[in-house]
Amino acid sequence: MKTSRASLFGGFAAIAATFVVFVIPFLFIILMAFKDKQQSALRDFSWPNGFHLFENVYEVVKTRNWMMITAFINSTLITVISVTLLIVLAAMVGFVLARRKTRWNGLIEFLILAGLMIPPAVVPTIWLLQGLKLFGTLHGMILIQVAYNLPFSIILYRAFIATIPRELDEAAVIDGARPLDVFFRIILPLLWPVTVTNIVVQSVGIFNDFTNPLYYLPGNQNATVQLTLYNFQSQFSTAYNLLFTNILLITIPPLIVFMFFNRQIVAGMTAGAVKG
Amino acid sequence: MAGLELKNIQKTYGQVEVIKGVNLKVEDGEFVVFVGPSGCGKSTLLRMIAGLEDITGGELYIGDKLCNDVEPRDRSIAMVFQSYALYPHMTVYDNVGFGLKLAKTPKDVRDQKIREAARILKMEHLLDRKPGQLSGGQRQRVAIGRAIVRQPEVFLFDEPLSNLDAALRVDTRMEIAKLHADLGATMIYVTHDQVEAMTLADKIVVLDAGVVQQVGSPIELYQRPANLFVAGFIGSPKMNFAPVKVDAIDADGVTVSGQDVINLRLPIRTSGVNVGDALTLGVRPHDLAIAASGTIIGRVTLTERLGNETIVNVELPSGASWLAVLAGDHILNRGESLSFHAETSKAVVFDKNGQSLVS
Repeated sequence: MKTSRASLFGGFAAIAATFVVFVIPFLFIILMAFKDKQQSALRDFSWPNGFHLFENVYEVVKTRNWMMITAFINSTLITVISVTLLIVLAAMVGFVLARRKTRWNGLIEFLILAGLMIPPAVVPTIWLLQGLKLFGTLHGMILIQVAYNLPFSIILYRAFIATIPRELDEAAVIDGARPLDVFFRIILPLLWPVTVTNIVVQSVGIFNDFTNPLYYLPGNQNATVQLTLYNFQSQFSTAYNLLFTNILLITIPPLIVFMFFNRQIVAGMTAGAVKG
Repeated sequence: MAGLELKNIQKTYGQVEVIKGVNLKVEDGEFVVFVGPSGCGKSTLLRMIAGLEDITGGELYIGDKLCNDVEPRDRSIAMVFQSYALYPHMTVYDNVGFGLKLAKTPKDVRDQKIREAARILKMEHLLDRKPGQLSGGQRQRVAIGRAIVRQPEVFLFDEPLSNLDAALRVDTRMEIAKLHADLGATMIYVTHDQVEAMTLADKIVVLDAGVVQQVGSPIELYQRPANLFVAGFIGSPKMNFAPVKVDAIDADGVTVSGQDVINLRLPIRTSGVNVGDALTLGVRPHDLAIAASGTIIGRVTLTERLGNETIVNVELPSGASWLAVLAGDHILNRGESLSFHAETSKAVVFDKNGQSLVS
């Protein structure tokens, strides 16, 4: 196929733009993580004088009584549990919405959309959490993440469930499946492409969430990784080498998740379900 | 094994009445075919028997058990769907064994049953494949295997062959017939294809607009249709119809004539027919033969030469179009005038309500 000059130029432009927006900042982070305090304070794009990565990492991890370790444990717990809950709950809601048509569907869909559009109010939420004795606890934080992200996950799932032929449910029912069997053994496995999308999008989002843990999860014991960034920033002095080492460390897990699952996003799981 | 009984079964969706009181008895081991045009309610009736649709009114007995509110899994039925409905993420082995797994059948028993079903359907070599890697016919086989393995009392088939190509359809049809003979199970089969109905059925149930039109053996339906609908639906090509009036009645039969038919004597016993009554005459295309002194005269509009037989489309004086199936090969020209002799002993007449007068 002949590639026109215009599309070739367009391709280069797109690659160049991506490089500037995504790769250069990341290179800057890596370079900064290798520098010592004096050089990093210049905040320029220079080659590091000497190799300081390991001492920076050690310094970052042990700061404030190994807060980084606690933060990683907390963030991992919050991310894994809330993403699991999100996937199961969102797929269930999507399944029921797609399969059972009632006159309430319109209202339910409106509420889901409202959840997506209307920003949550922080102070009333804190009152509510305090009333429920959930404020400042990990499980409270998990519930918040599930609630905030549920609408988006439901919308992702619902459209896909509508494409799964209803006869599959019926065949399973005839085979003796109870509703939960139908969901967990037939529907959920078939949703894998959407589930992967959900895992990637939501886990990166929740792991990288800064504001919600800041509001709803105060206290040193409850630190999440994004909040550890505050350790090296203050009004008068900022250790830029440590700050960027910190950024580098907490960027790695989402990057791994993304690279691992990105290759697994394979559609076509329903091929062969019906004639085709 | 068990029979099945439907007592005044009804189904309504809101105001719309889909099934209007169906009474039917299916004997143990019988092969019953529900046939009818699209939207006649045959699939709905099958799905009600399966338990996939609620029964609005009436009673459904499977064996001796009232099954109106019994869950599908407890009705001891198995169903084969038109679209096969195989679970795409499972291998053929797991697809067939899914029902047994849910029933918590021990692993060795399960394995034995799956392999037995695979052997019956000659698909042992397919067990490790996923449905996506199978052809249409193989998928249908797996769907049937999934039904067999549960050893149900009643098999339900919902247009199982309509997604297959013509050659495969004939093969699979024969296999289903063989399966019925081997298993001896009660089978209910829904189709709109009357060839499938005629070849497979012990008993055909003709449905139209949610009402049973006639129940009987295939030949019974072919020879003695109860009404105009059944007469027009069963048999291929379709039966020819013409409006006639009764001219004379005597002990051996009636003489009728109309615009297209002149003084045709029908050897039928009649009760309640009077001279001057308007009737509908029905003659099968196969019961027409070219004869110089024939009573039915028409112009050829189309011929289809199939070698062993010739299908002729003729236009009668009233403008009605009739079909005649002539044995052997005939060379006929368009516009040619032909006269036919009708085999009157096989003709049927219907009263003005469309009910058959031949009993």
